[in-house]
Amino acid sequence: MLIGLLYLSEFLFFDPFIAGHIPVGTEFGFSLIVILSGLSGLVLPMNVYRINILKNSKGKIGGSVFGSFIGAAAGACSCGPIGFAIISTFGSVGATSMAFLTNYEIPIRLAAIGLLALTYYTTVKSLKIECKLKPQ
Amino acid sequence: MNKKVIIFGIIVAIVGIGILGSYSFSPNETVNLDMGRTHGDVSTAMGSPILGDPSAPITIVEFGDYQCHACYNWFHTHKPVIYENYIATGKANLIFIDLAFLGRDSPIAAQASYCAEDQGMYWEYHDLLYNSQESQIDNGWANSERLKAFAFNLGLEMTLFESCLDSDKYSKRVQYNVSEAKKHGARATPTFIIVGPDNQQEQFQGGQPYTTFKQIMDNMI
Repeated sequence: MLIGLLYLSEFLFFDPFIAGHIPVGTEFGFSLIVILSGLSGLVLPMNVYRINILKNSKGKIGGSVFGSFIGAAAGACSCGPIGFAIISTFGSVGATSMAFLTNYEIPIRLAAIGLLALTYYTTVKSLKIECKLKPQ
Repeated sequence: MNKKVIIFGIIVAIVGIGILGSYSFSPNETVNLDMGRTHGDVSTAMGSPILGDPSAPITIVEFGDYQCHACYNWFHTHKPVIYENYIATGKANLIFIDLAFLGRDSPIAAQASYCAEDQGMYWEYHDLLYNSQESQIDNGWANSERLKAFAFNLGLEMTLFESCLDSDKYSKRVQYNVSEAKKHGARATPTFIIVGPDNQQEQFQGGQPYTTFKQIMDNMI
């Protein structure tokens, strides 16, 4: 996810050479991507474990998937290929939605991080209860 | 005798009006579009004037949008170094072609740049737009009024600029540039095509760092 987001946000390039850079003024956005990816990497496997191994409720994975998706969507630069495809396909509606994601990129990423942090907290709490060994 | 004087007077008057007319309208028609101008297989005829030495062995074709943040970052971070090391030294030149798709103000900003070109100030206006870009798309920073204010700040002749912008004089030119960009597979801004001395081309997208340009151009020279 980190590599994907860095590529979509034009911090990382693969063609024609592998290259990376952090333009001046984008350091905060870069940090948010790293945090978002780290939290997604923690929360998603924890919830998959809860569902697959413990056969528990699927409620919390919704939050983690939603948080990761929204955070990733905000990271996709509207002037990148995804933005171009959306704007070309949906015209002014696509342009408006991409402009919204670009204009509010930082608040959306912060909200996604908040949602992931909350999901992490509740997942850890419920895992502690669910995984508690019952005395024989 | 009187008839000859009258006829002579009429001829002189017509010639005088013609000369005055061509003089007074000349600022509107100073653009010399070379319709056959191509670099590699890219038609750059409707693009920007050439920045740098037109006979430089390498041409960098940039497809960009004035509201694009990645273009803004490239303009401020990497273009100055490329300019200093390649364009100012005559090793390369640069042409900007509009891929104005991001919002309703993008095509208007592109048209305004050509209105500035009418008065010989394309690159000054281009630079001013990228220096004035705001973080939000279509928030009004590049609307018609602001574009006119930028022209005023540059000292352009406002009557000419306003009539040019209000008449959509360069609407078709911008559309042509967008279609040329799409024809060459530009699917993001900025997209670059670097054309070498033997017309070899390297195309890539994104506001890539100076090292990428250096590596490609040094291989071409």
